[in-house]
Amino acid sequence: MSTPQSIVDHSALKVNQTGIVATVLVAFLGSVVWRPLLVLIPLLAVVLLLGTFVPRLALFKQLYFQVLKPRGIVKPRPVQDRPEPHNFAQGLGGVFLAVASVFLIPLPVVGLALALLVAVLAFVNLAFGYCLGCQIFFQLERRGFIRA
Amino acid sequence: MSAQLWALAVVGAVVLAAAGLEALRSRRARRLSSGATAAPSGQPYVIYFTGDSCTVCKTHQEPALSKLDGVRVDKVDAVADRALADRFHVYTLPTTVVMAADGRTVHVNYGYAPAPKLERQLAEARGAALRTAATA
Repeated sequence: MSTPQSIVDHSALKVNQTGIVATVLVAFLGSVVWRPLLVLIPLLAVVLLLGTFVPRLALFKQLYFQVLKPRGIVKPRPVQDRPEPHNFAQGLGGVFLAVASVFLIPLPVVGLALALLVAVLAFVNLAFGYCLGCQIFFQLERRGFIRA
Repeated sequence: MSAQLWALAVVGAVVLAAAGLEALRSRRARRLSSGATAAPSGQPYVIYFTGDSCTVCKTHQEPALSKLDGVRVDKVDAVADRALADRFHVYTLPTTVVMAADGRTVHVNYGYAPAPKLERQLAEARGAALRTAATA
């Protein structure tokens, strides 16, 4: 392989994906009865973008490392892996949610659809291990846009 | 409520369109890569395209490949060996290529291929080699 591998705890990634799916679903379904719940979408965008650039501020991962893992609620699953593709995927999710947030008031269908798409992709990653953001990272790396 | 229903319909359409495009892309790549050859071997073998950014490779594909008893697996970094990856139209990771003993491409799997599927394809590659030998 072209770069040295580090250890990535995949349980932290799963908790992150679960957090994304749950938050979007609460915002999506909850907004049917109480519209202000849509504020969860821009908040989630901020959480994901902050977590991408400052990992110690990644809310769901910190929940895992500070609470779920020490109490044995979620077992760690260390895998020799690179954290960059996962961070890239998270950042991409954050960008999509930020765009969704912009559309929530003037064009709610577009905003909700974009947010739901992020949740669907997070669910696909959680359930089947297919990470679209990682595939985009691979394509960008192959074309030399991202250097390892 | 109507905004939520419309959004659900839009996402459903996007997911269906993406699945259809993926199927088309995979079929096209498979067609283009057929007939490509690599170094021949005495037995059918597998070319396994992977990369540092591929998590499924480590968590799913490599355990599946390790279940193939006595089968040669040539591991290729799709980012580093771009020429070979392009030859097999690798657009996603993992990609596994089942090669016949004479270096002919028998099957190309874009995405995770479980062990039973690979075993079936290898058996087909062995069968094809026997048929070729019988007609020669």
